[in-house]
Amino acid sequence: MRDAATLDVPLVELVDRLLNRGVVLTGELTISVAGVDLVYLGLSVVLSSVETIRGAGAEI
Amino acid sequence: MTLLLRAIVATEDARVAAELGLTAVPATGVAALASAWETAGAAAEADLLDHHRVIQAIFGRVPCLPARFGSVFADADALGVRLALREKDLATQLARLGHRCELAITCAWRDSGRVAPATSVPASTGRAYLERGVARARTQKERQQRADEIVARLLGELAVDPAFIRHRTCPRPAVAVSMSALVTRDEIDELSSRLERLGAQLPDVTTVVQGPWAPYTFAVSE
Repeated sequence: MRDAATLDVPLVELVDRLLNRGVVLTGELTISVAGVDLVYLGLSVVLSSVETIRGAGAEI
Repeated sequence: MTLLLRAIVATEDARVAAELGLTAVPATGVAALASAWETAGAAAEADLLDHHRVIQAIFGRVPCLPARFGSVFADADALGVRLALREKDLATQLARLGHRCELAITCAWRDSGRVAPATSVPASTGRAYLERGVARARTQKERQQRADEIVARLLGELAVDPAFIRHRTCPRPAVAVSMSALVTRDEIDELSSRLERLGAQLPDVTTVVQGPWAPYTFAVSE
């Protein structure tokens, strides 16, 4: 079974490329993406949560 | 009709637009492939991932330069004007990159929560605050050093022309190394096998190889 890191980090890597790499033709309008901050944040929260749960479990 | 730019292809390859339901805006040597864009307001995550699917569909058929997500033009004429300004540069990039693939290699820390965020629970005393800061800085330095070691291992294993490699160390708390390698399709299987073997020798990170993708990282904006 894959852990949270292997499930989520690759998606962030792809999103990072889609938003920050690739050809840009100067002068065009750029649309924003609703919730992209939440995509990044959400994945970070998931990772942090998993680690928090693991840490708590280890202490019990 | 508002258009969302998807990719740049050679003019003679613009025929793929029809089979993919795209609009082709040709210049002399290159053409822009775009989709009708009618969404009001901001795009959604699904639109972002759909952009990747469209680019991969194009890249699976012909060499292309992927466009960064979000480039919208009022109509085909507006796109054509901008394309003409960059045509020579884009044709050069396409010839150099278009037939190559990007492999994304990510090494994620197995214990991604070890570095405490800077804005955690306030320290009860000034001494505790300073000790926490020192411990965090020490951990981050150790991680940076380890990430540099991992990069050296990856570069040695890949043995790819340095001009075809881009990497960042510790770009996010969970990630030790984010690397992009520009490779030919016939190199993919062997490189993936070598990276898988190397990944098994790196106990502190999970190594994930993704691709082949269109060469996002190597398509230069200006």
